[in-house]
Amino acid sequence: MVKVEDIKKEAKRILKEGKVKYIIGYKKSTNGLMSVPAFIESPEDVENLIWDPTCVYNLTRFLVDEKRRKAREKNPDERPVGIVVKGCDSRAIIVLLQEKFINRENIYVLGISCETTGVLDEKKLLKKLNGKKAEKVEYDEKDNFIITTLDGKSKVPADEILAERCLECRANFPVINDILFGEKVDRKLDNRFKSLEKIESLSKEKRWGFWKEQLDKCIRCYACRSVCPMCYCDECVVDTINFAVTADTTAEEKAQRIKWVEKSPTTSENFVYHFVRAIHLAGRCIDCGECERVCPMDIPLRFLNKKMEKEAKELFDYDAGFDPDQPSLVSCFKDEDPEDFIR
Amino acid sequence: MEKILTKKSFSKWVKKLESYKIYAPVKNDDLWNYEIIDIPESIQPDYPNTVLSPKKIIFPQREIFLEFKASNEEGLEVKEILPEERPAIIFGVRPCDARALTLTDNVFKGDFEDPYYWKRRNQTILIGLTCNIPPSFDCFCLSVGGSPHSKDGLDILMTDLEDKYYIESLTKKGNQLINLAKDCFEEPKVMDKKDLEKIQANSEIQIKRQIKDIKKIPKKLKGMFDTPFWDKESLSCIQCGICTYLCPTCHCFDINDEVASSAPLKGKRVRTWDNCQFPDFTMHSSGHNPRPDKASRLRQRILHKFQYFVELYENFQCVGCGRCISKCPVGIDIIEVLDKVRDYGL
Repeated sequence: MVKVEDIKKEAKRILKEGKVKYIIGYKKSTNGLMSVPAFIESPEDVENLIWDPTCVYNLTRFLVDEKRRKAREKNPDERPVGIVVKGCDSRAIIVLLQEKFINRENIYVLGISCETTGVLDEKKLLKKLNGKKAEKVEYDEKDNFIITTLDGKSKVPADEILAERCLECRANFPVINDILFGEKVDRKLDNRFKSLEKIESLSKEKRWGFWKEQLDKCIRCYACRSVCPMCYCDECVVDTINFAVTADTTAEEKAQRIKWVEKSPTTSENFVYHFVRAIHLAGRCIDCGECERVCPMDIPLRFLNKKMEKEAKELFDYDAGFDPDQPSLVSCFKDEDPEDFIR
Repeated sequence: MEKILTKKSFSKWVKKLESYKIYAPVKNDDLWNYEIIDIPESIQPDYPNTVLSPKKIIFPQREIFLEFKASNEEGLEVKEILPEERPAIIFGVRPCDARALTLTDNVFKGDFEDPYYWKRRNQTILIGLTCNIPPSFDCFCLSVGGSPHSKDGLDILMTDLEDKYYIESLTKKGNQLINLAKDCFEEPKVMDKKDLEKIQANSEIQIKRQIKDIKKIPKKLKGMFDTPFWDKESLSCIQCGICTYLCPTCHCFDINDEVASSAPLKGKRVRTWDNCQFPDFTMHSSGHNPRPDKASRLRQRILHKFQYFVELYENFQCVGCGRCISKCPVGIDIIEVLDKVRDYGL
């Protein structure tokens, strides 16, 4: 079992020795239950660090911010950034390394094994408690969560409130780390694409109906994009900004800039946005499930990315986020790649 | 006008309102939202906060202003599109969300009255429901001048007294609705009035979250524009648009021409919600962006609500619904931010 004291000890050491400029980890949120991202700069603040089943965030997203911030600074601090990662999050680091978006020497990875458990789905928990407020959620090491509310403690089978992705997890252990907390525990997984079965069994018309209903809910807050560590483009196809604009760009050139997606949250525009995102994540998404977690309209976005993951696996035997030396899926080809879809 | 409406008579009353478009909180999967419904049987008193406030009905995310197409004679044929003429009733409006509309009213009136906004606003009747229990863990209406039984902006306030509703009609529009079905209503008894007072007083005690000394905040913010405070507070912000789009008082918009065909030219001019947290919100056509980073965008959100709006309209541009707190993907808590603002440098 991972002890938070061990993580704090290491965090204190690397901050004291000046090995890292700061550490991205988890601390308690103001609601008293869930965690929030923490940016720890001094050894004194290390006490705030926590590790429990509410540590849902994929913090690697903040490495994108770090890179941007550093690029703007005149004399940047060249020391690495410490980052706490779970198994799934560590795979995001692999993809970022593979795409040369970050350098290995710029990060110090504090890897945590989820061992036999995973993280909570807050929405499932709220539903389970019927609107009651949970104060504490602990894992009992026997496949149950012990939930403390004002009315006392109750025991819930872990599977009922674990995040969906944890139920299909293939990386409960960090694939990259500088220091490791917890043990490597093998977990049995019969079918890694089980969640897709239901939707795949629907007819084409029903599937269209399903996605139309779901994507029509989208309010285009772009939280799914904003939370995704892989959505690091300087300029996103859905934004109206254009970094190609310079002092010399003529008014006509600006006016003729192509607008790929309208701002209106209509069926066609919402489909373009979500499908562009899904395609751009093919062979890159590591299934941290953050897009689905943050969606205020409860759109099951994970299905889209999971489907792409399955396509990548079945067509190209490609698994994202395990090997930093592997070329990225969309920028390489092999002789044995299938080509029967080319007509 | 004050009346009693038994829960049994509720649907009888609503049936008399058939000529109106009726909205009420509806649960789809696990999400509550205001949707057009047929005839509501009753309104559940304990529904949680809807994801979007009734803002989405009065100020829809997409509003078509006009249609245009190329024409041989005139060059361009332009047709104004105004919202459909049809009175609407929104049931179960939370008092905070109704107050929010009274704040937004300030923005759409003045030198220029926005015909689209006012058309919808004037033809919509708001029937509120006292929050006997807070609809969210993050409610803090009392701190920003509201209350769980605030009447601001409402035409009727209903309060659930178990087997009946206490009806307080607050406007002419409200009285008209009651007069449409006079026989459904009874006169309140002294006991009912006592129950109402008890429930409304109790509803205030249940609001657990608050911003202390909020009056000090606008002045304090004035001196904080250029401090490193915003860099630190915005570290975890991912710059999505949840806080602002879900906010019942945020009202920024963008206007675009959506061209369906370029030859012959044909399309629509539409207004859509816009969002100060997006990088393109303040992007100049020169390529310069005066709010280049997330610190400046978070600062804008806080300053607009708790300094600029106060200077302009003598009210906070926040009604304490708690949506931006509950739904923030990274747990940024506006109460915590404002607490830190108040204590900054002390």
